[in-house]
Amino acid sequence: MTLISAHNLTKTYRLGRVDVPVLRGVDVNVERGEWLAVLGASGSGKSTLLHLLGGLDRPDKGSGSTIEFEGRSLADMSARELDRHRNTRVGFVFQFYHLLPELTVLENTALGSMIRYGRIGYRMKAGEVRKRANEILTEFGLEHRLRHRPAELSGGERQRTALARALMNAPDLLLADEPTGNLDRKTGDRILESIERFHKEHGQTIIMVTHDPLIAERADRCIRLVDGLAVDGADVDAEDHVALSS
Amino acid sequence: MYQTLLTRRYLIGRVMPLLAILAVVLCTAMVLIVWSVMAGFLNMLLAQGRALMGDVVVNWPVEGIPYYQQLIEDLENDPLCEAAAPTIEAPGLMALPEPGGTRLVQIVGVDGPSYDRVTNFNELLWWQPIDEALPKDTDERDLRLRVPEQMRTEGLTLREFDPETEELRSAVVTGVWVSGFNRRNRAGFIDSYYTFFPTEEVTVSVLPLSDRGAVIDVAARRFPVANEFQTGLYDADANSVLIELGALQEMLHMDAAERIEDDFDYLAVTEDDDGEENFAQPTVVAEDPARVTSILLRAAEGVTPAQLRDRAKAIYAEFDMKMDGEVPPSDFVKVETWEERPAVRTFIGAVKKEMALLLSLFGFISMTAAFLVCAIFWAMVSEKTRDIGILRAVGASKGGVAWLFLRYGLVIGFVGSMFGLAVSYAIVLNINPIHEWLGQALGIYVWDPEIYHFTRIPSEIEPLKASYVFIGGVLFSLIGAAIPAINASRLDPVRALRFE
Repeated sequence: MTLISAHNLTKTYRLGRVDVPVLRGVDVNVERGEWLAVLGASGSGKSTLLHLLGGLDRPDKGSGSTIEFEGRSLADMSARELDRHRNTRVGFVFQFYHLLPELTVLENTALGSMIRYGRIGYRMKAGEVRKRANEILTEFGLEHRLRHRPAELSGGERQRTALARALMNAPDLLLADEPTGNLDRKTGDRILESIERFHKEHGQTIIMVTHDPLIAERADRCIRLVDGLAVDGADVDAEDHVALSS
Repeated sequence: MYQTLLTRRYLIGRVMPLLAILAVVLCTAMVLIVWSVMAGFLNMLLAQGRALMGDVVVNWPVEGIPYYQQLIEDLENDPLCEAAAPTIEAPGLMALPEPGGTRLVQIVGVDGPSYDRVTNFNELLWWQPIDEALPKDTDERDLRLRVPEQMRTEGLTLREFDPETEELRSAVVTGVWVSGFNRRNRAGFIDSYYTFFPTEEVTVSVLPLSDRGAVIDVAARRFPVANEFQTGLYDADANSVLIELGALQEMLHMDAAERIEDDFDYLAVTEDDDGEENFAQPTVVAEDPARVTSILLRAAEGVTPAQLRDRAKAIYAEFDMKMDGEVPPSDFVKVETWEERPAVRTFIGAVKKEMALLLSLFGFISMTAAFLVCAIFWAMVSEKTRDIGILRAVGASKGGVAWLFLRYGLVIGFVGSMFGLAVSYAIVLNINPIHEWLGQALGIYVWDPEIYHFTRIPSEIEPLKASYVFIGGVLFSLIGAAIPAINASRLDPVRALRFE
């Protein structure tokens, strides 16, 4: 069953007076429970694709781009619905963690739930939320870091916190933007193992952006962005392996 | 929920919000202190301005109101009127002892006891015994520490005991600045130069006028000075001279008199029973009643001057009807509250304008708090750009992000205004010791008693004013935070996440 499908995705950025097309008609289709890896060189538009799929950004107007989540177009959603969509249906993990420095690990993890339930709702569900955050942080081995601030954590711990925050509201889709890009190989592997475990145990649908073919190998399927277009994963492997060996 | 948490975290342990709070504290404190002191000053002036004329004045100048005793009785019988006092106002000259010269003054004839009931004149008499020296009068040089109680009584009755005749003699009580022999010193009491004025005599000259306002005579008379008064209104204290009512009525020919036939021949001679020739005696055809130019009224407890004025107008109209043309017509007699009197209106109006100007200036300066909060928030939004991107990525709405910063401004305004009120309360309540200390330590006397005519700076904060300033402080902070908050909410989340 298709969870998200994008057709003819087009996105152009304006740099000064010059229009720079980043995506020029990308088609993506992701089934529920599938792990899709998106490969591509720097500046190929991987992150942009992720932002568009997550409803954080909008495709070019009038380009005929469509993104459908469970059959519903994101373009038809109001701003409020889109905020709600990002909050409950999608979880973002970024390369540079993007944790709020003033909040503790527990608070960062619960941030999405605070937004979801609002002031009064959160007070009523605070115990439940805290329990869920504790569970998820324990699952990622952070039970001893609950009261720590991001500045007091290692890179791996920060990324695991970001992962816990993304998964806190049990999203249908996890969007990970080079989650190991800022970590050493060993730590990165641990993060990937966590993601893999979550994917297998909970059937989590994942779209992960990476420039590392070895990481992409863990995914069910790969696509590669070349010149603003998506190329099938089979070609990707061959090209990237050549690139790596050279 | 996240806004509460983040506001708390952003607030603690940062210098910028503390600076913003400090700015709000200073601005609210500054406005409230100035407002309280100025309002206190104005209230004091109002109380003093009212002192010589009561709440309402019934006025018919020159010709005067006859049968005023009857009118006073009617007025005092009304529950809205606490007391009424007859007075006469007339311009005059006062010749002072050397080297004072002669001065143009406003002569006011009053009946001491009734005047006191209306105006609390007793409290305005300057020369009356005091129990304690003023705080700054460390050498106890204030003459009031030594004057006898008799001075108060003589001032109040406007009569002085004459040892030669062993009778009471009509006296004057002048404003403290009329003679020019007095100077107020920094301790706040009055020093007498050349002579102690209440031991002197003056010559008062007035011009009795005809019904049509023409001068018909010049009346001059010597009076002892019984006391001096101080209202605090410079104009009254420098120009007014109070004289015992009966004496002034006589001088102005406004006392009760007998009217004789118009065509009486003063050279006519008549023969009595013994055949002796005598000048003929005129036949009294009528009694001319005594007159006064004004009747001052004091409102009963809880009655406003305006209410009393309206009632007094009605009572005068009834009086006019009853007297059947014997008194000035009610349509023309002026019945005004003390604030409506032209001299007072001009003076109080000027002070009110001065206060409004000062408040506007300080209020304008206080707007810097809004700009400061705005600048600080602007910097903070820049610093927190990535956080805004993160919040948007995890589902925070634009409104939610805006409220985060608005709420932050609200907290800064609230905390700053609370501390501002506390600081201003502390300063205003202790303004006199602070002022004293400033004077002693730095030689700075902002409110010099020589100029401002009061020895203590007003030190009251009205709760209503405090609440206005509090609301203003919060509002300015909110306005300061509004633009950065709106900017923050409009940030593109993708750009915000990439912000470095």
